Amino acid sequence: MNLGFEYALPVLTDPYVIGLIVAGTLVGVIIGALPGLSSSMGVALLLPFSLYLEPIPAIALLSALYCAGTFGGSITAILINAPGAPPAVATAFDGYPMAMKGEAGRALGIAAVSSVSGGILSLLVLLFAAPLLARIAYSFGPPEYFALGVFALSMLASISGEAPLKNLIGGCFGLLIATVGIDLTTGVERFTFGVPELYEGIQFIPVLIGLFAVTELLSQAQELGRERIAVALSALKLPTLNDFRRVKNAILRSSGIGVFVGVLPAEGSTMAAMIGYNEAKRWSDQPEEFGKGTIEGVAGPEAANNAATGGAMVPTLALGIPGSATAAVILGGLQVQGLRPGPYLFEEQPGLLYGIFFAMLLANILFLFIGLLGAKVFARISLIPPTFLWPTVFALCFVGAYGLNQSIVDVWIMIIAGLVGFILKKNGFGPAPIIMGIVLGGLIETSLAQSMIIFDQQWSGFFSRPIAMAFFVLAVVSLTGSQFRSLFANLLSRRRKNT
Amino acid sequence: MKHQNSIAGIILLGLCTIAYWLTTGFSEVPAMLSQNVPPTFFPRVVISIIAVLSMILLFTGIGKNSKSPEFLPRSFWTTIVIIASAGIVAHFIGTLITLGVIAIMLPIAWGEKRYGPITILAVCLPISIYIIFTLGLDVRFPIGLILEGLLYNQ
Repeated sequence: MNLGFEYALPVLTDPYVIGLIVAGTLVGVIIGALPGLSSSMGVALLLPFSLYLEPIPAIALLSALYCAGTFGGSITAILINAPGAPPAVATAFDGYPMAMKGEAGRALGIAAVSSVSGGILSLLVLLFAAPLLARIAYSFGPPEYFALGVFALSMLASISGEAPLKNLIGGCFGLLIATVGIDLTTGVERFTFGVPELYEGIQFIPVLIGLFAVTELLSQAQELGRERIAVALSALKLPTLNDFRRVKNAILRSSGIGVFVGVLPAEGSTMAAMIGYNEAKRWSDQPEEFGKGTIEGVAGPEAANNAATGGAMVPTLALGIPGSATAAVILGGLQVQGLRPGPYLFEEQPGLLYGIFFAMLLANILFLFIGLLGAKVFARISLIPPTFLWPTVFALCFVGAYGLNQSIVDVWIMIIAGLVGFILKKNGFGPAPIIMGIVLGGLIETSLAQSMIIFDQQWSGFFSRPIAMAFFVLAVVSLTGSQFRSLFANLLSRRRKNT
Repeated sequence: MKHQNSIAGIILLGLCTIAYWLTTGFSEVPAMLSQNVPPTFFPRVVISIIAVLSMILLFTGIGKNSKSPEFLPRSFWTTIVIIASAGIVAHFIGTLITLGVIAIMLPIAWGEKRYGPITILAVCLPISIYIIFTLGLDVRFPIGLILEGLLYNQ
C-alpha cells in the first residue's frame, strides 16, 4: 500500500504547517495543564476552526494537540494535585507527594521522558499497524462493519468500572441522536419536528462543544472557591540518569500496555494510565513506596497514557472506529472535512498517515523540552483564576459553535447539549459514550441497512459471516466480562474461606 | 439519595416511550424504496435497547443508596441564566458585544471583585475574536438588531 510519503513531504516541510503543529503542541500543553480542560475538550474547541485548513494540516494540528494535551495534564497533577485531565489522575498519586517532598522537577522530568517514550513507541505501532489493519479491513463488507460497530459500542461497558450500564445507555443515546434528520435510504424525516436546520441531522460540532465544554463550565460554576496551592518553584530539580535507569522497565512495560489499550475501540488514555500505574506497582521492588512519592509511580501512568494516544489512532484511521473519546472527536473532524475514515482513507487522502505520524512525533519531541524547561511557566498558567479562564472558554465555545454554519441555532444546540450533558453527568452518565454513539451512528445504521438487504431481511444471514460472528462474540465477552470476573472473584474468595 | 438509579431508569423509560411514539409519526416510505429497511427500524431497535438497559438500571437501583444530591450554589444558577440569555441577547446587541458582556457578567457572578482585569478581559476578548475570526478566518458575526437599526435607518 502506497501511503503517499511523497504527498506528505511537501505539506510537512511547509513552515506554516510546522508552525501549526508547534502551536497545537503549545495550546495542547496549556489546555492539558489547566484543570477542567482536557484534550478532548481542546480538540472539540479547535475542531470548528481547523475546518478552515486543508485536511492534512487540520488533522496534524488536532493530533498534536491530542498528545500534548494528554501530557499537559501531568504538570498540574504533579505541581498542584489537580490533574489537568482524567488521564493524569494516576500521575498525581505519586507525582504530588514527590512535589511535596521538594522533588517536583524530578517528577516532571520523569513524566516528560516517560510520556515521550510511550508516545514514540505508539507512533511506530501506528505507522505499521494502521496500514496493516486497513489491508485486513479491505475484505470487510457491511455485515462485518456492523458487527465491528456493535463491538466498539460494547467496549463502552468497560470504560468505567463504576458505570458500565450507564455508558452503554449513553452510547445508545448517541446512536439515537445520530438518527435525527432525513433518512438517507428512504428520504423520510426523523425527529426533525419540522425544523429545517435539523433536516441534515443534529450538527456534530455544537453538540460536541456543548457536551464537553459547556458541561464542564457548569461543573466549574459549582466548585468555585476551591483553593489550589502550587509547590515552591525553586524546588524544580531535574531527574538524574540513575532515575531514568530505574524506571526504564516501567516505561517499556507501560508503553506496551498503553498501545494495546489504545488500540482497543473506545478505551482511552485514562484506563491505560490506571493499568500502567497498577502494573508499575505490581512489578516494582518497592510496591510499599507507591502513593508516597516514587518515580515509578509517575513513569508507569505517564508512559501508558501517552502510548494510548498513538494506539487510539490505529482503529480510528484504519477502521473508522474511535479508539478513545478524543479520537472520536478527531474522527468527527475527518468526517466533517468530507473524508471517509476506514481502509480507503489512505488511498483517498495519501499522506494523511504520515501527516499524523509527523505531527505527533514533533509534538512529542516538543513537549519533552516544554516539560523539562517550561514547567515553571506552565505551573503559573495553571493558576489562572477560573473567573477569567471560563468566560474566555465560553467565548470560544460560542464562536466555535456559531462559526461553522454562522447560525445562532447551532449556539442554541450547544447550550442545550451543555445543559443536558450537565444533568447526565450529575447522574453518572459521561459525555464520551454519547459522542462515541453519535460518531458510530451513521456507520452502524448504514451497515445494518445494507446487511439486511444483502441477507434479504433475514438476521440469520450474519451467521454466514465468520468475521462478523467473531466481532459479535467479542462484543458478548466485553459486555459480560466484568460480570464473569466478579463472579469468578467471589467463587475464589469463597473457596479460600472454606479452606 | 435512595433509588437514584431507579428514578433515572424510570425517566429514561418515559423518554423511550415518547421517542417510540414519535417514530409512529414518520412518513410512509415511497413504494419504489420499500425494499429498503424502513426508517423506523433502526431508531426502534435503539429505543428498545435503551428501554431494556433502563429497566436493568431501574431494578438494580432499587434500595441502593447513592450519594446525596449536591447543593447547587447561586453562582451555578446565575451561570445558566447568563449562558442561556447569551443566545437571545446576541440577537439584539450582536455576538461580539454579547461576548464582552459575558466577560463582565460571568466573573462577577462567580464572585470576582477585581474590576480592572474584568474590564480588560471584556474589551480584549471581543477585539481578539474579531481580529482572529473576522479578519483572519472571515467569520461574519451578526451585529444585532439594535445596531442594524441604528446603522441602516439613518
